[in-house]
Amino acid sequence: MGRYIIRRLLWSIVVIVAVTLFSFLIFYVLPSTDPAAAFAGKQQTAELKAEVRKNLGLDKSKPVQYLTFVKTLVVGDKYGWPGFNKSFNTRDGIHDELFRRLNVTLQLAIGALVIWLIMGVLIGVLSALKRRTKWDRAAMGFALLGISTPVFFLGLVSLFVFWFKLKIAPGTGFVHFSDNPGQWFTHLLMPWIVLALLFAAVYARIVRGSMLEVMGEDYIRTARAKGVPERQVITRHMLRASITPVVTLAGIDFAVLLSSAVVTESVFNIPGMGAYVLQAVNNQDLGVVMAVTVLAAFFVTLASLLVDILYAFLDPRVRYT
Amino acid sequence: MKSRKRWIIGAALASAAALVVAGCGGDSKSSGDTGSSGTVTKGGTLRLATTDFGFTNAFDPTGEYLGLAWGYYDNLLTRGLVGYKHRPDADGNLIVPDLAEALPEPSADGLTWTVKMKKGVKFAPPVNREITTKDIVFAFERIGTKSLAAQYGFYFDPIEGMQAFRDGKAKTISGITTPDDSTIVFKLTEPTGDFLYRLAMPAASPMPKEVAGCFTKAGEYGRNLVSSGPYMIAGSDKIDASSCAKIKPLTGFDPAKNMTFVRNPNYDPATDNAEDRSANVDKITIDINTNLQDIFDKVERGELDGSPDTPPSEVIAKYAQDDTLKKNLHVFSGDRTWYITMNLSRAPFDDIHVRKAVNFAIDKASIQQAWGGETSGAVAKHIVPDALYNGKFPTDYDPYPFDVEKAKAEMKQSKYDTNQDGVCDAAVCKNLFHISRNQPPWTKYNPIIAENLKAIGVDVKTQELPTGTAYTTIQTVEKNVPIASNAGWGKDFADASTFFGPLFGSATIIPTGNSNYSLVGLTAAKAKELKIGFPAGGVPSIDADTKACGPLLDQARLDCWIALDKKVMEEVVPWVPYLSANSVEVSGPGMSQYVFDQNSGEMAFAHIAVDPSKQK
Repeated sequence: MGRYIIRRLLWSIVVIVAVTLFSFLIFYVLPSTDPAAAFAGKQQTAELKAEVRKNLGLDKSKPVQYLTFVKTLVVGDKYGWPGFNKSFNTRDGIHDELFRRLNVTLQLAIGALVIWLIMGVLIGVLSALKRRTKWDRAAMGFALLGISTPVFFLGLVSLFVFWFKLKIAPGTGFVHFSDNPGQWFTHLLMPWIVLALLFAAVYARIVRGSMLEVMGEDYIRTARAKGVPERQVITRHMLRASITPVVTLAGIDFAVLLSSAVVTESVFNIPGMGAYVLQAVNNQDLGVVMAVTVLAAFFVTLASLLVDILYAFLDPRVRYT
Repeated sequence: MKSRKRWIIGAALASAAALVVAGCGGDSKSSGDTGSSGTVTKGGTLRLATTDFGFTNAFDPTGEYLGLAWGYYDNLLTRGLVGYKHRPDADGNLIVPDLAEALPEPSADGLTWTVKMKKGVKFAPPVNREITTKDIVFAFERIGTKSLAAQYGFYFDPIEGMQAFRDGKAKTISGITTPDDSTIVFKLTEPTGDFLYRLAMPAASPMPKEVAGCFTKAGEYGRNLVSSGPYMIAGSDKIDASSCAKIKPLTGFDPAKNMTFVRNPNYDPATDNAEDRSANVDKITIDINTNLQDIFDKVERGELDGSPDTPPSEVIAKYAQDDTLKKNLHVFSGDRTWYITMNLSRAPFDDIHVRKAVNFAIDKASIQQAWGGETSGAVAKHIVPDALYNGKFPTDYDPYPFDVEKAKAEMKQSKYDTNQDGVCDAAVCKNLFHISRNQPPWTKYNPIIAENLKAIGVDVKTQELPTGTAYTTIQTVEKNVPIASNAGWGKDFADASTFFGPLFGSATIIPTGNSNYSLVGLTAAKAKELKIGFPAGGVPSIDADTKACGPLLDQARLDCWIALDKKVMEEVVPWVPYLSANSVEVSGPGMSQYVFDQNSGEMAFAHIAVDPSKQK
């Protein structure tokens, strides 16, 4: 087990290095336009652009730029560790802003995760147990609706209905828990639900499928034959076996969400990682784009590792060699 | 000014105005109307939101080239030797003394400008001392410091010794002297009639060396800007400026979240003109809200008082059609021209008859409708917006009314119409790349342009690109784009020089980042250097004309620019100007007085008033 984890950790490092390399190639090498052009004004003399390039560290050769980025990432910079250097746009250190925003996105993602897991598992179980009934059809109809409805649409509609018209929701924005716990909860409730609906629908379908598969297994029949109460059969035997794919998926989805809740954060004006990267892309702020990409890669590889380990605990058939 | 943000605003305005039917706004074309309503009272907080600050130099005035930032500086934070009234229309484009005791006059040869400064004007905290001419000199030294990347530093090149200072060959700028703390003398290498406009630019406003001198890289001073105006960035009074190491970023400006301006305790209204800066509100907050629609929902509900962003189309339509909201829709000239540019170095646009034919062939009224009708702006008939001519440009001037027969008559005279039927029959008229944007209203009128041009045998293949890509494509000379309709140009200040110089000056033709898209003034040598073709008949130049207008003042200057505008339209014909665009803003019920600032093209923060009882 220990050797497996070490091996996976080493692979994770390789993956992250590969991500930094490919991201650098995509954002710094491949574009035919000069990123400095965005910060050199309307009438750009060659001299001015050269100065802007120097200011942004773009005057050095591409390999040197890449190695500087990796070095800063590993050893840190004056803004902290890991080092992400300065934002092209704000000329301020990326580190603090990135982790401030990660904290906000974590609050959004964790809340949404809890809701979508509860909703997804409950609906999936209900649907499997009441197979081919109106409950099943209603649940799967809901799943279809959740998958098909874009977050931006659901977000805008919910804002229009609950904030603009009914005036029962507080509208957009983010309030820190330490400032006002009540406002924190009410401001996040709608984004949590909107984000959770999309995932809950997917998870409901997965749980339903897994449950149906497990329901026909011999050990379920044996458990029932032994007189195990039906509730225990469902929760201890059926659900436990069905939930493994959910755990795998939830870990990865959660990690991906940390950098990709762009639409939800934009619609609800939540200053998280998604909104940060969107702003960076619009402003050609390559330093921030790279930083978010690397951090996202780190979380996805970490989540992938944790999920694999957790899998063994949930499913006794899985063992590491 | 206004580079990136203006592209965005232009695009937003375009789509925003698209749903507004012409005339539905009634009073939509304001002229001089401040949009004020109710009683103006002092106090309260002006609450604004924007999707993104969009600063080009992180708010350091030495290099910041965003119109909105100039609005913040000039209205609220930085006082130059001269400035503006922060009023709409031609009045708002006039230069007035600010820190100067009176409007300076040039010497007889036009080379020396002596300015006497008011005494008793102080910097805000943490500097708290009287502003002297040394602080103006330091601002100019920052402009000349390469590492600070002054994005419009070229405007100050006529100052003697500026280039030597920039190149490190001199420790001071020889053309700026300060006989005493309240007198400053500028010596120029050539007469520069618009020098006062240049002096009014934010980079030329006083900067205290003890703070600004601590920041030696572009953009860094933006987080620590020391105010000389009626407001300051919140937290300025908490800064310890006893040494550079102790200076921390101001709490009132987080580039990713918000800006807050509060009253500058050292501001003495007696040193200013209340007509130019009423400074009504106590505090101004500008928050970033990534949801544009949400911003305007909040404005309508009174949770915000306004936004510097252009409202979405549905919002403009709603305000234009709803009698209760109409008074809160503010439409003023944006001093910006949108145009189709033709590349004079390549066929068929190397032939003036083709260019004139294109001008006659384009149905500009239809393009205006695609933009949203009159709310979006007036049909442009020449290069420079009328407001910059102070109402002196002949209103009946229309050299190219939409007329297919006239277009064909012009085409007949072209070498590319060999059978003289008014339709281009040369191969060079086929499959011409036409660069445009991939968003409304461009996508709405790209087919109109293609169809119009087909009538005279010019067959364009439209490439619809994102805004930034479209600009970088036409700014790269080597790409040799034949025709493009994505570009617009707004003034840097209210003088036609800010159009003719950068847009048609041969000196501005550079390999990348070029703004002279038509390549007016291209020479054979430069074409070779840029690796592009050069037409046998040459390319016209207006360099001599621009140089002739440059030193002139007042009416003579206006007349000169007007004559040049007509010459460009009739003898050079590099463009099809199609829209003289408006600036559109809406305000919330809590804003008791709205005033437009013609200079910055944004609301005049210096005059806005709020009514807290109507704010939510």
